[in-house]
Amino acid sequence: MIEAVANEEVKTKGYRRLNRKCMLSMYITNGIIYAILMAAFILLMIFVPSLREPGARPIVLLAAAAMVLLLLYFVIGPRIYYDRYRYMITADKVDVRYGIIILRHILVPIERVHQVEVSRGPVNNMLGLANVNITTAGGVATISYLEVDEAEKIVERLTEVINAMLRGGE
Amino acid sequence: MTEDGLRLHPIIIVENTIRTAIALLIIIFFTAGESLDMPFFAGLALAALALLVVLVAFYYRQWKLTFVRFGETDIVVERKTLFKLKKTIPYSRIASVNLNRGILNRLSGTSKLMVNINSGYNAIKPEATLTFEQHLSDRLRSDISQRIYGGEMPSFEETEQVARFTPMDVILHGLFSVPTQQSVIGAFFLLNSIYEQYRVVIGVEDAGPGGSFISLVLFFIFLLLPALRHMVYYWGFKVHRQGDTIFLEHGLIRTYKTSFQISRINAIRVKNTLFSRLLGRSSIEAEVVGIGSADGSGNTRPLISLLANDAKTQSLLQELVPEFIYERKAEKQPAGARRVLVTKGVISSAVLIAVMAYPSLLAYEAFSDGGNGIIGALLPYALPIATALAVLGIAYSVSASLRVREVDTGEELFTFVNGILDRETVIMSYDKVQMVHVVRGPLARHFDVSSAKVYLLASSGTSSISSGLFPEDRLERIGQIMMERAVAMKH
Repeated sequence: MIEAVANEEVKTKGYRRLNRKCMLSMYITNGIIYAILMAAFILLMIFVPSLREPGARPIVLLAAAAMVLLLLYFVIGPRIYYDRYRYMITADKVDVRYGIIILRHILVPIERVHQVEVSRGPVNNMLGLANVNITTAGGVATISYLEVDEAEKIVERLTEVINAMLRGGE
Repeated sequence: MTEDGLRLHPIIIVENTIRTAIALLIIIFFTAGESLDMPFFAGLALAALALLVVLVAFYYRQWKLTFVRFGETDIVVERKTLFKLKKTIPYSRIASVNLNRGILNRLSGTSKLMVNINSGYNAIKPEATLTFEQHLSDRLRSDISQRIYGGEMPSFEETEQVARFTPMDVILHGLFSVPTQQSVIGAFFLLNSIYEQYRVVIGVEDAGPGGSFISLVLFFIFLLLPALRHMVYYWGFKVHRQGDTIFLEHGLIRTYKTSFQISRINAIRVKNTLFSRLLGRSSIEAEVVGIGSADGSGNTRPLISLLANDAKTQSLLQELVPEFIYERKAEKQPAGARRVLVTKGVISSAVLIAVMAYPSLLAYEAFSDGGNGIIGALLPYALPIATALAVLGIAYSVSASLRVREVDTGEELFTFVNGILDRETVIMSYDKVQMVHVVRGPLARHFDVSSAKVYLLASSGTSSISSGLFPEDRLERIGQIMMERAVAMKH
């Protein structure tokens, strides 16, 4: 209930949501990761005979349980991530709220931003999505799964602000 | 002085040569191994010698063709060798300019002038290390300091407001500033060494001097060596503030003269370990970017006070960094945090016990006829004892976290108090915060609390300081005040 109220409040405060394509990107990435892990698990079971002995059963069962939990996380996670992800860029700040199990609220004053870049992995590239990495002197904040046009616009806008600040500082 | 600028002192050729020779000796040692083949060894030594001669020629040429110019607006370091370099350091970007004297510098009457800029990138290494005769280094440091800080730079001898630390203070700092866990492990090895030696003396059959010696070496590595390093590094420690600049001087073998502006301090940490707390002593660290030197344990944050009693620590805070003092209304973690911490403690203890149960049974069967003496009697129960101790440790950390962790949000400054055995009070300025994360895990959400992580520019690049568990709005306030101040400053 509290969360629902908080989410409603967040929606009304000018936050933006991600494009639904972000879920597809996450599903593809998760699928690839899961396939690799599953292949590794099966290969280990085939080529390491000691894992098939009764003594190793608890470890194998634990690993199988972890794989099931991971599958659940990979299936449910993207939907929750999409539902919860909110970002807002004003004249003064970058504000991002996200998280699947652990919720995070990141606040970066624009005047602390040193550098902005757009990054695109192969899956995002295929779907026309991009991440914007915002570097401050204290670390990097990322706005993920933006449409390329939106990402470029954000970078352009932040770069303008940074340049204006630098000109003002001269 | 040439037309191109100042040339560095030629002692750097010797310094570089010695460094290379040591590296070559190590390589020869490991390559030769246990081989007694003289022709092979002689060939290897000759090759190393030839390489050394070539490198000496290289270092000479590098020295000959490297020039430094101290201009009106910047320092230019130019190397005109095959690998050309031209580094320009504007005075406006310099965070600190420090002097450093090693043994070679003392023998040759030189000093290293270390120029550091206020940058997270390459924060640990100085932007330029320039070796000159001592009097020239002193004069250059004074000139540069005048440009970056304004006003004359006083020497420690000229000022009265100097906080000095006695050799006993330095020794106590060395011994008790070592992290508590490390001290406990070191003390354990010392006691074990004494016990093993005692067994040798009374003639126990299976006792030998080897066990005692190994324990003694481990005691040296864990406790004595770090303590000695601290003592050597901070020997003769003195500190004073002149205008808006803090000056530090210390060092037994290598001497350090460091200065930085108050405006460069991002946070102040008042720290104590379990043992220093028992003695009622705390030290003060400043989070400053651009110092470019580290103490024996690799800490790049300059200390502005060694471990001192609480009265002296408070008075030094007042004298040196009054900008970081304010009326604190500290808030302890609420009931929600207690529930989160206790639940986490119970879950982790249960998992630990479940995981250790089976190995404990196996260990009991394997060591049930473990041998004579205390160790032999304890060996079958080692895992259950270790598990019980770990569960006690979890219980203690929950209780200590509830007693210790605090948050306070003032108008210009805010504070986090953290730590279980080694504790620190971190006072930060909103204006120096780069980014704030407010984080809520599932348990924290259920009990309506959050934790915050504050990112600062730090001497080691960046640092993040985490809070305990507090109501979300309390921690969100940090970001709000930071934003309000940032907007107010912009306009």
